[in-house]
Amino acid sequence: MDLLQIALIGGVLALDATSVGQFMVSRPLVAGAITGWALGDPALGMVVGALLELYLLVSFPSGGARFPEGATATVVAVASAAAVDAPGAVPVGVAAGLVWGQVGGFSVTLFRKLNGRIVPDAAGASGGSIVRAHLTAMVLDGVRGAVVTLAGAVAGRWGVSLLAESWPLGTPDSRGLLLVGGAVSAGILLSDLGGFRRRRVLFAAGMAMGVVGARFL
Amino acid sequence: MSGALSPRLLASAFARSFLIQGSWNYRTMLGSGFAFAMLPALRVIFRGDPAALEASLQRHLEHFNAHPYLSGVALGAALRMESEGEDPEQVRRFKTAIRGPLGGLGDTLVWASWLPSISMLALAAYWLGLPGWAAVTLFLVIYNLGHIGLRAWGFQVGFHGGRGVARSLSAARLGAVTERVRAAGALLLGLLVGAVLGGNGGLGEAGTLWGALGAAGFLGGALVGHRLWRPAAVAVVAAVALLATWGWVS
Repeated sequence: MDLLQIALIGGVLALDATSVGQFMVSRPLVAGAITGWALGDPALGMVVGALLELYLLVSFPSGGARFPEGATATVVAVASAAAVDAPGAVPVGVAAGLVWGQVGGFSVTLFRKLNGRIVPDAAGASGGSIVRAHLTAMVLDGVRGAVVTLAGAVAGRWGVSLLAESWPLGTPDSRGLLLVGGAVSAGILLSDLGGFRRRRVLFAAGMAMGVVGARFL
Repeated sequence: MSGALSPRLLASAFARSFLIQGSWNYRTMLGSGFAFAMLPALRVIFRGDPAALEASLQRHLEHFNAHPYLSGVALGAALRMESEGEDPEQVRRFKTAIRGPLGGLGDTLVWASWLPSISMLALAAYWLGLPGWAAVTLFLVIYNLGHIGLRAWGFQVGFHGGRGVARSLSAARLGAVTERVRAAGALLLGLLVGAVLGGNGGLGEAGTLWGALGAAGFLGGALVGHRLWRPAAVAVVAAVALLATWGWVS
């Protein structure tokens, strides 16, 4: 039942990334919170979702580009991390999510190729055939997301159950290791937003506010 | 041909624009979604002329691509042009001409600026101690105010501007808006980095080694750009796998 619930969440959230609405409930921060809440551990969902959001700050569903699928990756990561209560659950779960994000991205590419066969050719197309093809593609995208999530959750939970108990690092070091990868994404984002030279004053002002805020809040 | 489109039909086309990427594919990209969104209005415009309806649907089923949030600009304008009986070739040329700018503008404004900026705001708020549910709500509300506002504005501007919508787009100065969002994004990125360095469970608590590695990763990302993302993610996954295996074996 638990796995069916996880697959359902993955399928619904995967739809949001491209097919339906793009309200960004598929972003890792939101997907992590929803999955954690559904599994009875919202704090764990937030931690995993926030870490993956850091990684995927520079990843978005732009046009025909291939991108890691954040929604299924996060549901898999949270479901895996929730499998055991051990220090290694979060790092191994996040790593499983990062790997599964690539698998999800690959499945999106394959699915888009399939859609090319589902949509009718211009010649001879009717209103009915367009609506049928469009709705079929959306349903199949949800099914794809659910299957990808289910497979990832089964594999991720197995990996976490096997490895998390004997994880050799404590929580601060584990968090440090995961944040190093997130720092790379933050650096890439600074370059995307105009680069350090151009944005140094705003960036430094924000950083000062963040450090002060962290100390006093 | 019936010229006028009721508010209800326009609302239907606008609502369907939220599903415009439902059958995204490498052959026609948004083409079938565009035809799907146009369908209820085209059925009214070409009532009593099935051949014209079919020809119009086939036109809109052809290859089309744009940013999904700004695709409403083309959708609204195309509806206006079809309802006024514009020459089909003009409609086709218009869609071909506008798809590139709508894609480029949307990618820069939304994907590369608005989305990461609001994500960083929510992440920084979370790291500074805001409860998780509040950070998620903050993200969804602010992000979607911009998202739905942009979609509604685009559809309305497209429908009112018709073929001349490019003038309305340039008057809106979306480039200047993007620049402001990017500047705010730099401030929010600084806020996030400061919060992660100094906040609970952040790099500051993890120790000097991880702080130094994080600084090196940040500098590397800033200097190398997107090419470093995959190697960095692979390195983290490999480090986790090695540590976990080492712990398991020993």
